[in-house]
Amino acid sequence: CQCTRNPGPGSGSSLIPLFLCITSGEIVVNEVNFVRKCIGAEKSHDDLWGKLICTNFKVSFVTHEALAQPRFQVSNRLLGEHDIPLACVDQVVTVNDAKGKKKVLGSNQKLKFNPSELILYCKDFRIVRFSFDEAGPEGAKKVCLAIAHYSRPADPQLLFGFELIGTRYLEDGLNGARPAGGSQTPLFACSSDWDREIKRTGAAEWRVCSVNQGYGVSPSLPEFFVVPASLADQDLRQYAEAFSGQRLPVWCWNHPNGSALTRMAAITDPLQQKRLDQRICNAIIKSHPQRGDVHKADLDKNLPSIQQVNNSLVRLRHICVIDPFEETEEKWLSSVENSQWLDYVRTFLKHSCDVVYILEGLNASVILQEEEGRDLSCVVSSLVQIMVDPHFRSLSGFQSLVQKEWVMAGHRFLDRCNHLKKSDKEESPLFLLFLDCVWQLMNQYPSAFEFTETYLALLSDSMWVPVFSTFLFNGPKHHDFLEDKKITLGEGEELCLPPVWDWSQQLSITDQALFNNPIYVGKAAPYAHNGAVKSFRRTKTGWSSTLRGTPPALARNGLQGSQGTLPRRNSLAAQLKSDLFPVRDVPESPSERFARDWFSGPADPQGLLLPQLLPSHLALWRLYFLRWVPEAVIPRGGPVTAVHAVSQLAHEIETLQSQLRRYKGPTPGSTPRASPAGGPPGTPHAEPSRMFFKAGSLYEPSPPPEFLSSSFPFTPVGNLCRPNLRGTPISKLLNGAKTWLSTETLAGETA
Amino acid sequence: MTSCWSHLLTAKEVMYICPFRGPLRGTVNVTNYRLFFRCMDQEPVFVLDLPLGVVSRVEKIGGASSRGDVSYGLYTFTFQKNERLNKEDVHNTKRLLSLPQPIFAFEYGQVFPENGWKVYDAIAEYKRQGIPNESWRVTKANDHYELCDTYPSSLAVPVNIPDEDIRRVAAFRAKGRIPVLSWIHPESQATVTRCSQPMVGVNGKRSKEDEKYLQAIMDANAQSHKLFIFDARPSVNAAANKMKGGGYESEDAYQNAELVFLDIHNIHVMRESLRKLKEVVYPNIEEPHWLSNLESTHWLEHIKLIMAGALRIADKVESGKTSVVVHCSDGWDRTAQLTSLSMLMLDGFYRTTRGFQVLLEKEWLSFGHRFQLRIGHGDKNHTDADRSPVFVQFIDCVWQMTRQFPAAFEFNENFLVTMLDHLYSGLFGTFLCNSEQQRELPKRSMSLWSFINSQLEDFSNPLYVNYSNHVLFPVVSLRHLELWVGYYVRWNPRMRPQEPVHQRYKELLARRAELQRRVEELQREVTNRSASSSSERAGSPTRSITPVQTFV
Repeated sequence: CQCTRNPGPGSGSSLIPLFLCITSGEIVVNEVNFVRKCIGAEKSHDDLWGKLICTNFKVSFVTHEALAQPRFQVSNRLLGEHDIPLACVDQVVTVNDAKGKKKVLGSNQKLKFNPSELILYCKDFRIVRFSFDEAGPEGAKKVCLAIAHYSRPADPQLLFGFELIGTRYLEDGLNGARPAGGSQTPLFACSSDWDREIKRTGAAEWRVCSVNQGYGVSPSLPEFFVVPASLADQDLRQYAEAFSGQRLPVWCWNHPNGSALTRMAAITDPLQQKRLDQRICNAIIKSHPQRGDVHKADLDKNLPSIQQVNNSLVRLRHICVIDPFEETEEKWLSSVENSQWLDYVRTFLKHSCDVVYILEGLNASVILQEEEGRDLSCVVSSLVQIMVDPHFRSLSGFQSLVQKEWVMAGHRFLDRCNHLKKSDKEESPLFLLFLDCVWQLMNQYPSAFEFTETYLALLSDSMWVPVFSTFLFNGPKHHDFLEDKKITLGEGEELCLPPVWDWSQQLSITDQALFNNPIYVGKAAPYAHNGAVKSFRRTKTGWSSTLRGTPPALARNGLQGSQGTLPRRNSLAAQLKSDLFPVRDVPESPSERFARDWFSGPADPQGLLLPQLLPSHLALWRLYFLRWVPEAVIPRGGPVTAVHAVSQLAHEIETLQSQLRRYKGPTPGSTPRASPAGGPPGTPHAEPSRMFFKAGSLYEPSPPPEFLSSSFPFTPVGNLCRPNLRGTPISKLLNGAKTWLSTETLAGETA
Repeated sequence: MTSCWSHLLTAKEVMYICPFRGPLRGTVNVTNYRLFFRCMDQEPVFVLDLPLGVVSRVEKIGGASSRGDVSYGLYTFTFQKNERLNKEDVHNTKRLLSLPQPIFAFEYGQVFPENGWKVYDAIAEYKRQGIPNESWRVTKANDHYELCDTYPSSLAVPVNIPDEDIRRVAAFRAKGRIPVLSWIHPESQATVTRCSQPMVGVNGKRSKEDEKYLQAIMDANAQSHKLFIFDARPSVNAAANKMKGGGYESEDAYQNAELVFLDIHNIHVMRESLRKLKEVVYPNIEEPHWLSNLESTHWLEHIKLIMAGALRIADKVESGKTSVVVHCSDGWDRTAQLTSLSMLMLDGFYRTTRGFQVLLEKEWLSFGHRFQLRIGHGDKNHTDADRSPVFVQFIDCVWQMTRQFPAAFEFNENFLVTMLDHLYSGLFGTFLCNSEQQRELPKRSMSLWSFINSQLEDFSNPLYVNYSNHVLFPVVSLRHLELWVGYYVRWNPRMRPQEPVHQRYKELLARRAELQRRVEELQREVTNRSASSSSERAGSPTRSITPVQTFV
């Protein structure tokens, strides 16, 4: 990181030593001094004084003051503590208190008043507020306009990632961070990655085809993709014309039983539809070792549209961070329901389960069909693979999955993120929805994933750091895109942006340990049973309800319960008649039966995983949605405290293992000596711990440190400053304990 | 099987109508402890096992049919499971199930290595808190329950209030439940005290002794010149109680005291709320409107109010260093919830397994939460208005805290569920009767703690880290409160308990122990070797040494 000492204009600036973190290619557009960043909602004494800077990459607030409260934050190598990438800014609102004016600023707009406040609504749910009461009015105005202009780049050249083109990422990395030692994620841009995937899944009757080399057939498919071995290149070329976007059917993945998961766009030519359908189905059947059937899943029909998903997130954002905390409290549950977000999460999971059932239960192949085949099918195909194939629940496996089913499959990240603020209709948080679905699985099967929810949140945040090739394009064909946008590459220049998987661009090795789930059971886990990948099959075991530690003499499914008193509203007999067989109104579908059978046995973290779909089992992803809300932070609490406890244990195990290795180390003939510390000699080749939290003293777990909270590693301090929020969190919470009175209350007050 | 179980009845060819799987044909056995149904037709075998204690009511449905058969519908209602049997030919079952039944606890002969009745000793617990001290003493005024028959025999009261004044205070407090100490802060000496409502009545009666008494509670804490009185009730309800002679402290009469109403509703509202909750989760969960249905039961809202009340108490004592007095009407339902929850937040001891048992024995059992009446053990009047899920609600609050602080409690979810299961099962004597005075009899049965403390492994939370004296302030917001699925929805066959992190943690513990053993072994070997090699080197320096073998 190249930290520039920036004296800034004006005499007073020498009081504040300002450090601005500048990434290569970044330039300062405008800046204003004596700005107050609002920290507390009411009192201003916690507020920070500093300089507000707009560069072509981010909004930066530079201060020498430190936040009063103990806090912890992952330091991003590309961003300072108070920085917001311009791509993350959703809305720029300027306020003039005295005049009672407010304006939402767009690109190239005029501002007729001098702003006294600037509020930035961010795509990652933050709301950041700056006050200009001591700053020069003209300077403040200029910075506001600059932020508005650069955060809504009318011209793609203004999107920062493209500034970097031609800079020396390969030699230096952004910011000088060494590129890509850590990124071993297959990118599926070359045929060998596909070859390996075919071998790994045992898809013998499938082949890598290169008809699209140079994007001659379809601009949105990758140059290499996998097709049934029985389809020849010339057939494919001929078929392609009939598909929307020339998106031929492509292979995603093979189930161990030989069934294949494939995806394709709609056939636009009605005359060819039947014939083509038939040919493709036949080819897929031929590629199945048992000639298993092919099922088609019509995603457009069964799943919500991208706009519906977007509207849902807008509603959820409102209740999570914009509406006042206490006022939403009473109706919280129904508000969450009305946002429909969890409904959609459930629908996608459910649909993916149905596909799993076809692959696993019916031993048949599946075609995911969608108009364009680049949106909903990304979610479904990746969820299916995560549920069935434990490989995709490892960190590198998961990254390769996103690469394979999203980036290479041509998901329009640029449009869906709306980086260019071109069309709001195209914006949709499908990728976040996918991450939420993964979180639900992770929440239900905590030891099945190598990575943590922190990883998912940081991955999602990276979408708004527009320097990663992963999220900047609408498909694998980058060059063309650049030509379209009239971005020219100089002589010998190559478009070489890092993928987000090169995490060293953003995080130190130490902080990357936050990704590792200490209780992961898998091949990569160096401790505990090095779980071999078990078969996907499960053993069925007897059905019995949950057995709670009853004495051996006690029963097996002890129906122990609770409240006895059922006020006798309606006669029991009457009730009985109406529901003598109240079992199910709707007959169980085969896929539900399949799920039920599966649920009757124990789950294997390295086997098939199906999510519980009862609405009572789907939860709001609190870390992501509530991390900036100060009222919702549990000090020294939250799921991370469990991670903290397990990590310490896992770290002790690592330590012991490295001790053992050191004992093993000495070559025959040499004499092992006992060192005073108990650690024997040998090569002190200490690997960095996989655990973020280390054990302090061995064998005595320490309580969670003060900086740990349910928002960890994020901090709400200064990141959620809702306008007009009154009262400190705790007092508000306590005074606001709302009551309602029912007639029974008054009548029955006897206790 | 324990020998004390006597088999009373067997009936074959019985139809059980399962709410989840439809009618099942099988055999019913009834013993003096439970009803046992087994259906062999299904694969896997279906078993229903029901301690008679959980049966809330039994009804006969239908009568003699035209063919002259008698069919009975047995409807056993519990919260988690609605079970119904349609049976032929068996007349006796209904008779047997008709309550009251003798409670099985007295016949249960299982022997455990631990004696749970010894878990709680009031004097020892006072001592742990540093009582008696210069401000508080333990009085013998209630030695034979003459002062208050729903209180324990030993009570901690302010030092400078003589026993005769205490009797006058008792006369002014409902059911004689005077303010007594529940917990004292080890540093600030701020206290949590509990009592019942003052008998103010419509005319605003006052009691000098009571006023002096509360002043003494305040004076016992040098850190603060204020006293907070937390009335658990909504203010309207508290005012309504004046009509019946009760009421609340007026701030005129009690100088320096501030009265706060916590707006927690009474047992009837809670019972109704849980009934609604049952309708929402049982037998099936309606998918489209799950959250708004849940909201309409107000169950989580009630949980929130109780926890918010306890949080305010804990906050006043910890942050404000101020003593608090807690009461509702009688001081045995909402008051018990509030004092025990705030003590759980304030004192890490109560977050250990044994400490939690002490907390229950003290704040619930010895201070006369009327378990018999609220649960209705051995009572067939299932519509009794005195029944209420006050204790279930408290355990739900504890569970909410364990969710927010997964490493702060020594016990696990299984411990909480087991406790609630045996609240109804009638297998143990712990939750029988209404007060300490009545509880001589149950002591002849087994204590639930005997069973639990004999196999602590099953009930322990491996993630437990001693937070030492750290006070827990949970976030009391619907954003964090959740429905306790592992309890209320557990009978749903589509429900599978969440994969236990604990199991995995235990594997890691075992792995660590194994590694530790190996490292120590090697260290010993190395030490021995270096000792011997140095002596050998002196003798024969050419001797080669075999390398250490390890197997990782």
